[in-house]
Amino acid sequence: MRDLKNLQYFEDLLRLSNNRLVVQAKNQGRIFAAYMCENTPEPLLNLGNCFGVRLTAPNTGSTDIATYYMSSFMCEAARALLERSIEGGYNYADCLIAPDGCTMINRCAENIELLGTIKGNERFFVEHHETPLKADDNGVDLLVLQCKNHILTPLHEKYGIDISDTAIRHSVGIHNQVCELITAIGQYRKELLPRITGYEFAVITMATYVCPKDMLIDKLQETLDELATREPDSKPYRARLLVTGSELDDIEFIRIIEECGALVCADRFCFGSTPGREVIELTDDEDALTQVCRHYVYKCQCPRQMNMEKVYGRKENINRLALEYKADGIIYNQIKFCDPWAYERAMGTAMLRDDFGFPVLSLERPYNSHSSLGQIRTRIQAFIESIEIKKIQEEHNND
Amino acid sequence: MTEPMINPVNRPGDKNLGKLFNGGKVMKRREWRGFKDTMYDFFRWLKIWGILINVSMGKGFVKALFRYRWLANYLAVPHMIDKNTLGQRGETLRITRTAIDFVVKEMAQIVKDNNRADIRCGNDKKLSNRSVLCDENGMTAFMMGFPTLNSAQREVVTLFSANLINQNCATHYIDVAQQYGIPGDVCPMPETELGISIEDDFAVFGKCAVQINTTCDGSMMGNGLIAKRLEREYHIPTFQLAAPIRFKNDDVQAYAAEDIKKAIAFVEEHTGAKWDWDYYFECAKRVNITTRNRWEWLDVNSTDYPQFVGSVFCLYNDTNYMGNCGKSAVFPTIDAKIMQLVKKGLENKTMLGQQYRHRCLVWGVQSHYLFDLLYWMINCWGVVPLSDMLSMVIDREIAEVDTPENREQAYYDMAYLTENMIMRNHTHGGYEALLDEMWKYCEMLGADMIMLWEHIACKALTGMHGIFEEQARERGIHLVWVQHDLCDPRIANRQSIRDQFNLYMRTVMREEPLDPSLEVIDDNNMW
Amino acid sequence: MKALLIILLVIVILFVLLFTIYMFNLDMKFMTYVVAPILEKHYDKIDRNQYL
Repeated sequence: MRDLKNLQYFEDLLRLSNNRLVVQAKNQGRIFAAYMCENTPEPLLNLGNCFGVRLTAPNTGSTDIATYYMSSFMCEAARALLERSIEGGYNYADCLIAPDGCTMINRCAENIELLGTIKGNERFFVEHHETPLKADDNGVDLLVLQCKNHILTPLHEKYGIDISDTAIRHSVGIHNQVCELITAIGQYRKELLPRITGYEFAVITMATYVCPKDMLIDKLQETLDELATREPDSKPYRARLLVTGSELDDIEFIRIIEECGALVCADRFCFGSTPGREVIELTDDEDALTQVCRHYVYKCQCPRQMNMEKVYGRKENINRLALEYKADGIIYNQIKFCDPWAYERAMGTAMLRDDFGFPVLSLERPYNSHSSLGQIRTRIQAFIESIEIKKIQEEHNND
Repeated sequence: MTEPMINPVNRPGDKNLGKLFNGGKVMKRREWRGFKDTMYDFFRWLKIWGILINVSMGKGFVKALFRYRWLANYLAVPHMIDKNTLGQRGETLRITRTAIDFVVKEMAQIVKDNNRADIRCGNDKKLSNRSVLCDENGMTAFMMGFPTLNSAQREVVTLFSANLINQNCATHYIDVAQQYGIPGDVCPMPETELGISIEDDFAVFGKCAVQINTTCDGSMMGNGLIAKRLEREYHIPTFQLAAPIRFKNDDVQAYAAEDIKKAIAFVEEHTGAKWDWDYYFECAKRVNITTRNRWEWLDVNSTDYPQFVGSVFCLYNDTNYMGNCGKSAVFPTIDAKIMQLVKKGLENKTMLGQQYRHRCLVWGVQSHYLFDLLYWMINCWGVVPLSDMLSMVIDREIAEVDTPENREQAYYDMAYLTENMIMRNHTHGGYEALLDEMWKYCEMLGADMIMLWEHIACKALTGMHGIFEEQARERGIHLVWVQHDLCDPRIANRQSIRDQFNLYMRTVMREEPLDPSLEVIDDNNMW
Repeated sequence: MKALLIILLVIVILFVLLFTIYMFNLDMKFMTYVVAPILEKHYDKIDRNQYL
């Protein structure tokens, strides 16, 4: 296929945490709200003059200092973020909104706070908010209160951000515009000969997490228009794979999978398109904040939601996505040392394989895939081969 | 502490305790504590065997013994007690034995009920139908208003207490869990629980189960897999009770209280039992007695003559708060007996060892397979463990008078107890709960040293490693790191744990051991 | 008187026996070296319905 016109542009945005759009927005005097977890409702960080960016640590090499502070058993993402913060990589942030989602991200945020590693302006603040442990109305009430106390009020008091219902509705409007564009772009992955690769889609989706959203809409629209007439490759992929699992901001991981000849046809991970880029439906008969929180509580696919409806529901959701996107197999990935996903990966692997009949690759990976490129590639190649063998056997049996 | 405090009393009996260890699975012989104390210990030993024989006479015991791998660990209960009374004399020995013997009695009752109700063994349907399976890692506060129900703690006896008895009790199950894809870096405790479930080695009974997220991410996630087997194979419905993580904040309390209400409704729905407010407030009174007594013991421990200390202090608090939560009417009488002994010990200025060199606060998550290390610290180095993180449970009393307002407050109190589950009330709730409170208690108890159990797979704890060091340096407090892997001795064996302490005492403190025979002891093969 | 003496003798013998078991840790040695190995072998032989 011909390269997408804006692919390089999107890729460049992922190379630095203070990318060109972040710098541009800061130069315009906008307030940068850094956040660390998919359980923080994004539209609440994009109110008025404020823009939310999820922290990443692209091209992480050594995490020696963070390892001293947090030990070598900590999730590599948490260590990479602390290390980058110590290096001064997030000094342009005006606040840090951190949920007590998983223990390790919480400890990362607390180390940042105690060590004072983000040397932003004098009004810089860190807020930790609780996130519900179950998908129920009690959880919605909790999240509403938490968002008021730990996101909206501090933003208003420190930076005079408009936190009115109108402002939230406006922010959700822009959020939904981005979500609709990403969803429309992602639909092309359903085609048997898709006109977008999983890697390209991951790059575009990921960019929407690390940039002021309103500044990306033109490029996203342009890309969607371009895809309408893009000619797909005639050669079919060896296998169509769904990638699910833990925090994944390393697009190289998707590239490695596709370099082995597969297509990543669907995704379900933090920084991915589901549920993060699903439209938030708002009605006029209830305040916008409650509706946003309800969306986040009920759409959440994070393993920290522990009620059994959700525990089973997460696997059913993967099955639904795999069928919808015609996946031949599923890769359950887990960032090394992540406790929630260690168990979720094992359970998901067993259930998707035994209850739903999919071939599943269960994979632990480092934060930066390139640090164990060989092992990851070997595992994926073997997995793809096993799917191909299975297909041949099925064809043989049908004959 | 600048000058060591020398014990003016000549302590009778064995002086070099290391000679009791000869590399075998048990001690060469029991400790000679002088005539009076040895006789006391002997009769207590007889009583323990009485309890064990009583368990073995229970319904379903023989079948259970030949079915469940974990049950064999209980053969070594007397050995566990010997470890936890090493070097003790006089009031100290009596306090420890009173507490631990009662803990054993409580555990024995749980094992007995387990065997009796289990569908594979005793198959007592009546008992099973009034049993609610309670999560090991949670307070059983939501059961405080159900006088007719059994808060069944099958996980406690399968793993928690079993691991205090046999250091290797978890390893088989850890291997099973890892065989099914759970990584080796997660906390081995929930991993073991899951391994037991995978192997189908839990007793099966109960009308329903309530799981709690309190300990950690690993425990919460392991619950899902355990619930899957309970629900799908054994048709035991489960409820997941949510305890907020940032529980120190006022804005999470309504959420927590609401979920307690839901848990109670769930239990009522599945067991047919009705919540009894009279019984609840009766239990609440007992919880408050426990709290008051514990604070009084801590007050004593902040004097020059601490009395109720060490792993048994911790274990007693564990049992009293978590499993019991005011439901046992017997605990206050045991508390009273201990209180009497503590007061007597204080009056007599009884010392726990030959010499006190350092007053130490024990923090962090303790090793289960070396729970008794705290007594070794006294005997070997003269370091007195004044209290430990797990014993710092709640610091306020709960409403105990039945009024309409207090009935609403009760849900918040049960939530408060649940949120403040032993250990998690410091490992969660933000760094203030872990760091700031450690310094607060350090000052309160007059400690000049901190022994920090660093459970390497406990991410909530190790995530603050660097900050602990920096703050200790700023305050000029000796901070001794002792790393371990909670219930997997293959990762850090007993001597390697003691070596970390020895190394600090020799190189940083430049001290010589009080009992050199204990510095290196050959107990890695022991139960 | 004789009966009392016999009872006393039995008590003394029982005491000596039990105290010997206690002092030399014979109870634990018996459990450890006789009972536990038999049980461990037995547990390893049981078929388990293992699954995740």
